Amino acid sequence: MFQNRAEAFALVMPAAVFAGAVFLVPVIILLSEGFHTANGWSIQAYIDFFSHSLNQAVFFRTLKLAAMVTAAAAVIGYAAAFAIVNLPAKGKGRITGLVVLPLMISPVARTYAWLVILGRTGFVNQALVAIGLSDEPIRFLFTETAVFIGLLQLFLPLMIISLISALENMPRDAVAAARVLGANWLQVFTRVILPLTREGLVIGGTLVFTGSMTAYITPAILGGSKVLMLETLMYQRVTVANDFVSASVIALILIVMAFSANLLLKRLATARNKR
Amino acid sequence: MTSRLFSPLVLILVLAFLIGPFAIIIAASLSAGETLAFPPQGLSLRWVFKVFEIESFRQSFGISLFLAIGGTLMALILGVPASYALSRYKVPGAETIRTIVSSPIIVPGIIVGLALLRYFVVPFNTGILFALFIAHTALILPYAVRVVSASLTNLRSDIEEAAVLLGSSRVGAFFRVVLPNIRGGILAAFILGFVTSFNQVPVSLFLSGPGIRTLPIDMLAYMEITYDPSVAALSALLAFMSLGIVFLAERFLGFSRYV
Repeated sequence: MFQNRAEAFALVMPAAVFAGAVFLVPVIILLSEGFHTANGWSIQAYIDFFSHSLNQAVFFRTLKLAAMVTAAAAVIGYAAAFAIVNLPAKGKGRITGLVVLPLMISPVARTYAWLVILGRTGFVNQALVAIGLSDEPIRFLFTETAVFIGLLQLFLPLMIISLISALENMPRDAVAAARVLGANWLQVFTRVILPLTREGLVIGGTLVFTGSMTAYITPAILGGSKVLMLETLMYQRVTVANDFVSASVIALILIVMAFSANLLLKRLATARNKR
Repeated sequence: MTSRLFSPLVLILVLAFLIGPFAIIIAASLSAGETLAFPPQGLSLRWVFKVFEIESFRQSFGISLFLAIGGTLMALILGVPASYALSRYKVPGAETIRTIVSSPIIVPGIIVGLALLRYFVVPFNTGILFALFIAHTALILPYAVRVVSASLTNLRSDIEEAAVLLGSSRVGAFFRVVLPNIRGGILAAFILGFVTSFNQVPVSLFLSGPGIRTLPIDMLAYMEITYDPSVAALSALLAFMSLGIVFLAERFLGFSRYV
């Protein structure tokens, strides 16, 4: 450890000043805008925002979709991570690589694929009509289901890799021991695997939940103006109505929800571990 | 045992869900038809060639490339000294500085973009391109600091102390001893920053002006007007580009060690 303060400051300050000046200050001003009215400071903008039924619907839809995607990712993630961890070493590396691969590809491309699959003339509709399950194409696009599928595909890898590392850190013999002692698979999962991998689940869950909640591309492409989420609503308020007050309100809601999700999940993880 | 059958089935389904859509995009981009469809209507490369003929794609590709390379270099110029100080010096308020530097990762990008537009571009009358450059630099900075800090932590600090004791200057020790040893980490940070910036959408959403927008934003705009396979072709090309970069990085660098 070097002690020279002047040197330390000279090295650290450019980055800190840059992040502070071009990032923190504008964001803080933006957030303050929602509390600023003609007659001083108030939370009127927040009351107005939540008194609109459209805004309420968008708020709850965003929460609901983020929660559903997180839950689905957890269920599928455990099954996939468990299968991957039990593979021989070489296959494990390859399959993990394939799971991580999509993360490196543009989310626009990843979401666009679902247009080809779920669109009116898309793959699924052609198959449905060909088999005779449906007489005419079903509308999948611009529904909550489409947004759910798109978000799940986008964020599932994050859950799987979090759970893989959690499962790998679990004592090797724990599952076998529980089985020998007569536990069925459900008991093995709830009493052994879940408590021992809780931290990985919390990390993965936080990434998936905050990622889904603050997603823009997926609801924009697959939801359109029919299935607005908070970020697409924010974009619409600004570009269609020049409504910067609502934008500021949504910005604070997003930041507060992301932070509380982080805190809540962190607390859940530590509270359980203490027992 | 049921899991003998169950595990492979789960893996096949999950991989089909995660990777399958790319196969479909590649197939759709090879279509000879006028509209987006799968299975493709005949095979041709016309849409792949069409991508290179679309003027706005060429322009926005250039802008995205400039932002990804320039923004990442700038983030490293700011981030490497900061990481070095945070790992080797007693910095007063180190935790606060860490939080400030990594804050762009916590706040959703769309908010950063709007904030910069309203309180940076408009009042200071900077151009959109400059604002995009600043925004992308800020966005990459947390990744640069995190990856470079990790490699500095793995590097024992007594080798540079030895260099200083043997008569090298502090600056000389950094450039001749520290820097060569964290080369891999810096390169990994560069690749991570490049891919992050290139694929970034929300930050750039509000930061677009006449003739200046990033490639992903341009693709979103194009999709709203036209329903032809050219975006599928471009998506496929970009996916191959990203995969190529990551593959090379993994091959020659063991990229995954750093991220």
